[in-house]
Amino acid sequence: MKKINLLKLYVIIFSFISYSCVEEVEFENMDSFEDVLVIEGTITNEFKQHKIKLTRTFQFEENEPIPESNAVVRVLSSSQDIYEFQEVEPGEYLSTSEFSALPNNTYQLKIITASNQEYSSMPVSLTSTTQINSINVERQFNGNGTDGVAISVNSFDPTGNSRFYRYEYEETYQIIAPFWSRFDAVVVSENPPDTEVSLRTREERVCYNTQFSTGIIQEQTNNLTEDRVTGKVVRFIASDNFILRSRYSILIKQFVQSPEAFSFFETLNELSGSQSLLSQNQPGFINGNITSITNPNERVIGFFEASSVSEQRIFFNFIDFLDRGTDRLPSYIVPCNFTAPIEDSALISTIQRRSLVFFRENDDDQNIIPPGGPYVMVTSECGDCTLIGSNIVPDFWVD
Amino acid sequence: MKYIALFILLFSYQLTISQEKKEITIKFENLKKIDVLKSIEAQTQYRFYFIENWLDDTLITGDYYNQSIKDILNIIFSKTDINYYISSDNKIFLTKNNLISDSLPSTFFKSTQKENKPTDSIITESIQYNENNIIQSDIIETIRIGKQNKNTNKKKYILSGYARNKNTNSLISNLIISVKGKNINFVTGSNGFYSIELPIGINLIEVKKLGLSSLEKRIIIYGDGVLNLYLTDDVEELSEVVIDASKDKNVKEAITGLTQIKTEEIKNIPLVLGERDILKVAITLPGIKTAGEGSSGFNVRGGKEDQNLILLDNGVIYNPTHFFGIFSALNPFTSGDVNIYKGTIPAEYGGRLSSVFEINTKNANDKKVSGEASIGPVTSNITIETPIIKNKSSILVGARGTYSDWILRSLDEESLQNSRASFYDIVAKYNHKVNEKNNIQTTGYFSKDQFSITSDSLFNYSNRLASLKWSHTFNDRNYGSLILSNSQYKFNIEFDGNSTNDFDLGYEVNETELKLKMNYLLNDKHKFDYGISGKLYNVDPGNIDPLGQQSIIESIEIPEERAFESGLFVSHNYNANEKLSLNLGIRYSFYAALGATNNSIQRVYTTGLPRNQTTLVGEESFSKNEVIETFGGPEFRISARYFLGEDFSAKASFNSSYQYIHTLSNNTTVSPTDTWKLSDSNIRPQQGNQYSLGFYKNLKNNTFEFSLEGYYKTSKNILDYKVGANLLLNQTIEAEVLQGDGLSYGIEFLLKKTKGRLNGWLGYSYSRSFVKLESDFAEEQINNGDFFASNFDKPHDVSLVLNYKLTKRFSFSGNFTYQTGRPVTFPVGSFILNGVERVNYSDRNAFRIPDFYRLDVGFNVEGNHKIKKLAHSFWNISIYNVLGRNNPYSVFFVTDNGDIRAFESSIFSIPIPTITYNLKF
Repeated sequence: MKKINLLKLYVIIFSFISYSCVEEVEFENMDSFEDVLVIEGTITNEFKQHKIKLTRTFQFEENEPIPESNAVVRVLSSSQDIYEFQEVEPGEYLSTSEFSALPNNTYQLKIITASNQEYSSMPVSLTSTTQINSINVERQFNGNGTDGVAISVNSFDPTGNSRFYRYEYEETYQIIAPFWSRFDAVVVSENPPDTEVSLRTREERVCYNTQFSTGIIQEQTNNLTEDRVTGKVVRFIASDNFILRSRYSILIKQFVQSPEAFSFFETLNELSGSQSLLSQNQPGFINGNITSITNPNERVIGFFEASSVSEQRIFFNFIDFLDRGTDRLPSYIVPCNFTAPIEDSALISTIQRRSLVFFRENDDDQNIIPPGGPYVMVTSECGDCTLIGSNIVPDFWVD
Repeated sequence: MKYIALFILLFSYQLTISQEKKEITIKFENLKKIDVLKSIEAQTQYRFYFIENWLDDTLITGDYYNQSIKDILNIIFSKTDINYYISSDNKIFLTKNNLISDSLPSTFFKSTQKENKPTDSIITESIQYNENNIIQSDIIETIRIGKQNKNTNKKKYILSGYARNKNTNSLISNLIISVKGKNINFVTGSNGFYSIELPIGINLIEVKKLGLSSLEKRIIIYGDGVLNLYLTDDVEELSEVVIDASKDKNVKEAITGLTQIKTEEIKNIPLVLGERDILKVAITLPGIKTAGEGSSGFNVRGGKEDQNLILLDNGVIYNPTHFFGIFSALNPFTSGDVNIYKGTIPAEYGGRLSSVFEINTKNANDKKVSGEASIGPVTSNITIETPIIKNKSSILVGARGTYSDWILRSLDEESLQNSRASFYDIVAKYNHKVNEKNNIQTTGYFSKDQFSITSDSLFNYSNRLASLKWSHTFNDRNYGSLILSNSQYKFNIEFDGNSTNDFDLGYEVNETELKLKMNYLLNDKHKFDYGISGKLYNVDPGNIDPLGQQSIIESIEIPEERAFESGLFVSHNYNANEKLSLNLGIRYSFYAALGATNNSIQRVYTTGLPRNQTTLVGEESFSKNEVIETFGGPEFRISARYFLGEDFSAKASFNSSYQYIHTLSNNTTVSPTDTWKLSDSNIRPQQGNQYSLGFYKNLKNNTFEFSLEGYYKTSKNILDYKVGANLLLNQTIEAEVLQGDGLSYGIEFLLKKTKGRLNGWLGYSYSRSFVKLESDFAEEQINNGDFFASNFDKPHDVSLVLNYKLTKRFSFSGNFTYQTGRPVTFPVGSFILNGVERVNYSDRNAFRIPDFYRLDVGFNVEGNHKIKKLAHSFWNISIYNVLGRNNPYSVFFVTDNGDIRAFESSIFSIPIPTITYNLKF
């Protein structure tokens, strides 16, 4: 008996030493929370209304940043131009006029918050311009061994001045509702329950959805002899991703960054990446190029950039990359299920809430679907694409 | 007669003035005196010390009621020639004829003696020397060296020789040889050699060493000569006398910041998992800290972990710990004394800024086979010493290992069956005395650790070291040694989680040093040490290879590094007068980074801009052994001691040094993957200066030692890391590191009680350690370019180590440690940038983990003390962290899919009881 106890002790000791010495702990930062202004601001050589975003850091328990509203935001140029920005949404400031950043000018961001704190960036100049030469789409396996399509960029700056690149993209994918019908079930009377079938009045079969890239995608050519970006994968989509089911389009924007901006975002990325217990990055505050005028020791997060940008759009259908014998298109975003509810108040509310969508009449020509109500109803997204996308064809769309 | 006198001399050290009056009731009839004494021992705390044949066999009878021990003894010994003395700790020493005096002989240990002037007057005295002048009762042996020559005007002669243990014939190191009343002192080195300069005529030489009977000789010297000294072991009161011999060393030595730890002293300190550990004791002394339980390095006086030169028999040990630093990798049975130089570093050592840990393996017994063994819950340890050629050569072999692997495997618990945790170390030392003038010793050492950090990774590391030392005595004034050593440290991580990220990673550092050290004794005022050393480094920073077919890890190989470091040193020990002693050392340090292969690459960055990918402009190629860059400069090691009074001294020192090898230590993780990086064209050597001032006072016959030391240290090019730096297998490591200024200062207080039933020490230090990383570029600047607390800045540090002897066999011990929690960088909020949630971190090291405190207790039982017993045994029962305090070692954060997860690593958060059995034979 004693021996067993002793062994137990060893177990405690060794499980402790071997791997239990690291334990996850509840982390609250109530005491340590530091309220810091976060500035996102990039002006480009595009002639447009530029956007500056001001938020504040938030506690770990919260999900959303607090917008910094009612600030005075302006960009000053070395040629004495002042571009005023106005808050259009909480924390989002748009330039009141359209302008483009010009070469040989420097730009400085100035902010005065509602609490009368003044911030200023270092003067930045517009980076040199480089065009995207081409965008390639290729079926391949990515680093994790996942099958999919890689969308990559090629660009070349013969002057060799660009060197540091950051990418953003906007992808738009077509959604075709697989069980769309020209008809729809409409409520005639709630009490007594009565319904009828009529033609749909709007586009609900083909929709489009656009999403924007998040995170920081960077590439540099500094250690290469030529300033040439070759096959930089900006977007990789796994072959089972729903967005590849129909036609797909991507607009890739290539920003040329200054070396300082590049290393700021690179460090930011390194710190946020997943890290193993074996290799940790040195954590810490990352200095940007914006400081507080009111209190020089106050910390500010963000980097104000003047980047030249070039963009290119491509379209493709994933089906062209498929091996017809074995491959299949990715399945629809939701599984599509059929049911035929009895015509009663429940059906009325289903139609009204559009939780199910009409597919066909439940008649003898085809299989009768239980429990045998008048209509075969399908999972709503499968019959009406507007629930997950927009039925307006984007301006740029080419079929 | 002589024997008794020595006996008295020995014991007179520990007698103290206070005596307790205790009353005794005892009755005896027709008993022999010896039996009467035994019955007193049985009834009381008193213990008698005597030689049996002093007592006659006449039978005595007595009946005493509430009498004092004195009265009883007076009656028992009334008609005999036995005298007695009662010590404060209830020891009664019987003496024949001699009366023991309460006070020390007035000349004992005094280095300054007013009535004696070691000048011409002595010569006059000695010339008139006449054998009749010897006092009748004198039992000191008189030895004449040389013939009197009236025609010479030489006033001083050199006496030299070897000191040996009479029983084992082994050479005695750290033996103090002093000339009474003349402020001439010498301490033997590991070769047991001594050489002192004596004024012509009569000299009374006193020889002292812990654990040995002291010896006095009267030397009448008229010429240079040799006298070999033979000392006997002091069997009784071993541990107490041990401490005595070098007792006033702290006050006397001319160097500051020296900490000495003796293996014998630490025997009773509570243990962690049954391991007696010299380095763990070191961190209870002020000025020596670790970043936390489970940190493998030491922070000495605010210096980084990589700034300590840890030498085992002259060879460097890169990682002196097992199991994340929970155990030291040094076998406590084979280790002799440890000297830690944290202030003045002797000029013979270089290459590290903060300290030198000089650990010497014991010389083996060359007379007979002996050994020591211990059995604990985690490790077992056995050490054997044996002569190879009697009185000439001997070998010591110590081996220690864990059996935890076996325990883990034999368990039913499935989760533990595959885990591994084991270590072992082996040390062997061979001593060969070729002849009187030549001595060879060689040491081999190997230690290996293997354990799982996470369930699917296997981590192992090893230290290997070999050293060879040839000592040669040229003549009475010159001796020296030639040392060749080689060390290797490597680690390997295998990650096999059946994933596509499986890898195998390796790292290795190897160094070989050749050193010549010479000693020259000009006279009793001037001693010189000088020499030269050269060291070749080879670093293989590692490779990572995919493990298994499906692994998608790319093979990376970081190119090898090579460098040559050398030093030329002279140090002069100058006893200016009775009060002032100076130690003046200078070392010229030189370093060359060399091409390791025929195509060694050094990356070139735009000058004047931060080093990163964006400023990398090219590469420069070097052929094998081509000089890439050289560094060097003089280093000063200067210290002085001045006696402010008897047993009271002040010392001051200035120490400067260069360091060419740096650790890349990612202290935000738990893994001991520190790698060493050589200085090259992108990474400059560290340079440091230290000023220190201290006061040392011994009280009550060295029963109490008190010291107060302050230091102020500045350093340059201390390695730190950029935000976001990742060090493991980074191909452009120079772009991840920053070099900045270091500043540390502190005050250290130590009160030690070395004798008596209750002994131990109390240490306190207030110390700060800062780093400054300032640059014109935000990327290279940390915390606005201001000084900030370093990773190991722990201002308050209190250690109390106490040992209470209940009886001769039973003792209690306890130690308590309190430290301010170390600084960490905390996440202080989230923010969204570019649509991704990110973590905002505080300024570097702006927060602290909770304060550290821990109490350990131990109970020791020693076997009986019969001299002729086959083996001596010793039990230790201890509880580590009795309070069960969960002391976090580090708190760190991992961003995982946008979520921040906090991890805390702690080593022992529960009380750990252990029992260890030690056996000495």
